[in-house]
Amino acid sequence: MRKELEAQFAVQLHDAVVCVEKTDQRTIFIDVKREAIRRAARIVTDAGGRYMCGVGYDNIARDGTLGMVHTFSMDQNDYFICIRTKVSAIDPVMESITPDLPSAGWSEREFMDMLGMQFTNHPKPKRLVLADDWPAGIYPLRKEVPYDLVPPGAEDVAYQLDEAPPGTRVVPIGPFHPSLHEPEHFAVYVDGETIKGCDYRGFMTHRGIEKLCQTQVSYNEVPFIAERICGICGSVHATAFSQAVESAGGIKIPRRAEYIRTLMLEIERIHSHLLWLGVAGHLIGFDTVFMQAWRVREQLMWLCERLTGNRKTYGMVLIGGVRRDITSAIADDIRAVVKKIEEELRVIHRAIEKDSSIHKRTKGVGTITKEEAIAWGLIGPVARARGVDVDARRDHPYAAYNDMKFDVPVLTDCDVWSTLVVRVLETYEAIRIIHQVLDKMPSGEIFVELKDKIPALRHAITTVEAPRGESTHYVITGEDNRPDRWRVRAPTYTNLQAVPLMLLNEQFGDFPIIMGSIDPCFSCTDRVAVIDLQSGKARSMTRRELEFLSREQLHRP
Amino acid sequence: MWITSKIKQILMVMKPGIVTLDYPRQPAPAPTTFRGQPVWDHHKCLGCGGCANHCPARCILTRDVCQELRVMLYDGSRCTYCGRCADVCPEDAITMSNNFQTACDDKNDITTRLELFMLTCQRCGRCYEMEKTNVIDRMELRGFRYDNLERRALIRRTTDTFSPETLAATEQYQRPSR
Ligand code: SF4
Ligand code: SF4
Repeated sequence: MRKELEAQFAVQLHDAVVCVEKTDQRTIFIDVKREAIRRAARIVTDAGGRYMCGVGYDNIARDGTLGMVHTFSMDQNDYFICIRTKVSAIDPVMESITPDLPSAGWSEREFMDMLGMQFTNHPKPKRLVLADDWPAGIYPLRKEVPYDLVPPGAEDVAYQLDEAPPGTRVVPIGPFHPSLHEPEHFAVYVDGETIKGCDYRGFMTHRGIEKLCQTQVSYNEVPFIAERICGICGSVHATAFSQAVESAGGIKIPRRAEYIRTLMLEIERIHSHLLWLGVAGHLIGFDTVFMQAWRVREQLMWLCERLTGNRKTYGMVLIGGVRRDITSAIADDIRAVVKKIEEELRVIHRAIEKDSSIHKRTKGVGTITKEEAIAWGLIGPVARARGVDVDARRDHPYAAYNDMKFDVPVLTDCDVWSTLVVRVLETYEAIRIIHQVLDKMPSGEIFVELKDKIPALRHAITTVEAPRGESTHYVITGEDNRPDRWRVRAPTYTNLQAVPLMLLNEQFGDFPIIMGSIDPCFSCTDRVAVIDLQSGKARSMTRRELEFLSREQLHRP
Repeated sequence: MWITSKIKQILMVMKPGIVTLDYPRQPAPAPTTFRGQPVWDHHKCLGCGGCANHCPARCILTRDVCQELRVMLYDGSRCTYCGRCADVCPEDAITMSNNFQTACDDKNDITTRLELFMLTCQRCGRCYEMEKTNVIDRMELRGFRYDNLERRALIRRTTDTFSPETLAATEQYQRPSR
């Protein structure tokens, strides 16, 4: 597989390939010259690569360049392919790969904002991450920009929404709206009750965590901060970051620690899916499900409190292992709690699976085809409900997943209902995994002391299957006992890009549940997308109009 | 099928009944393994500054007022109860208590301030032995520290010998603003 790919590169790109490097069992780095980036991306996609994310980094102090990495996953062969290129900081232009790969759109726009890169032929070179009043020419991820820079704000600058398709009205949803649990702004273009398009401006909770961790703290504090990227899948981010550093530094952690990490990740999956089930019930106005799913979930939160010391943000993961051990008493406790949860979830499952009122709200809603899901690189339950069989736990096993036996539920109805069923089935699988972890857990140490310095400027990439899909972390190790670059790509970052497609031609009243069906987590994602589905005549909204529209919306019954 | 689903749903709701606690009238004690607010034992603390170096929230501040006096300030309003400080303390001077009910109207109610008389040799950082094999956790800030306690800001600048100028400079420290 690797040989074939290398041959392809040699034949098609000749001397544009600078070097090919294999750092560990599954990661291949290919350095290409910048002219060849788009062709290189095409070769990997043709070979079956699924686009994960782009990573830009500032290397100006070392050789005056900005680096760009496009990362791909070969799900069949358990490979990560990273295509690296660099451009000089004076002329940071390279060709965009978005025309071939729509899911790369956000990654490229992010680094236009954050590093000042330019991508020729990008279909939508608009601002993504930075606030509208952020001054032009200051690129926050460049090393010379201090982490605590606060430029003066500006009045009367506003994001220019996309053109509305002809004959439609704009309904703004957000930045604050009851059906969205975090601030983000959607402009939904409607014709009557039918959604004809949608523009999205988010990244309102961008907290600069990457910059903070690259400049202020040291390696072992980052897992605690990573955990706070997301209030729901905290362990996922802490584990992914630790794995990336361990992989870059060649650190081998004890097997028992890997088992405990697996346990925490699965506990987190149960709590997240139950939380989602409740929220989904609430979004379609069926609060019984909301109350019951959250009641069942509460036992797990209490369990986590006994287990780790906290309901959420467990603080279990450190580079080199975990912090608390699982004693046999607590193992029995876990078994009892997950058994009870399984029984109670089956009760809920039986009570709702044939309920025609839920079916009416969710079946055939938010439909996209399998081909579209693959083209947009969807991941997690959203993809698995559309017949795409991806799961990082099985495709790129990490922690102790290679010892576990579990099924990956895949449904082909392609609608919101199947995302619900997939999540419920996955919860049963998670409980199965937890029993296996407790049965098979080897004895031994849970933490390994690090004797040597972590070598600088190593690149590493890892993915962890979060409840919402895979989370990808890319780390470049640094000299000052902290990462030189740390890139987090949360699953919603990918899935959100396809929401306008899911919304197309749906009823406006179904917006909350379609949006909710991807289990969006905006604080993890926080970045912005605008996707035009139909081109129409130009029409820009003034701020006044928007305000008026939002007031109008407010006073509607 | 609609009616059977509804019957099942009624049973599902009836069986557990009411489960919410009548908090705060009915107390909800935290489990013994809970990580609540950290508590300092000033008899044990030797002022090595290890907790301050490793607090991810940067809410433990260290200021050397003069050669002999070191002030450690714990700002509970930003603490995330991660327990990292208790992990790294070589003297076990920090315990994670069970207290989670920390809402209050005065920040000082959840602030701990220790004033430690220092012997010069103790501030070199070498007493910080717990993780001396662990390079990743090696102490990065040694010597004299000048965090700004009023603005609750960690200043990443230290000196080998006590420097009144640096002390005066960091007293004037202002957070960046618009
Ligand atoms: S518990 Fe964590 S956040 Fe709080 S003072 Fe200790 S290290 Fe800092
Ligand atoms: S780590 Fe312990 S001994 Fe050192 S300053 Fe903190 S509380 Fe005191």
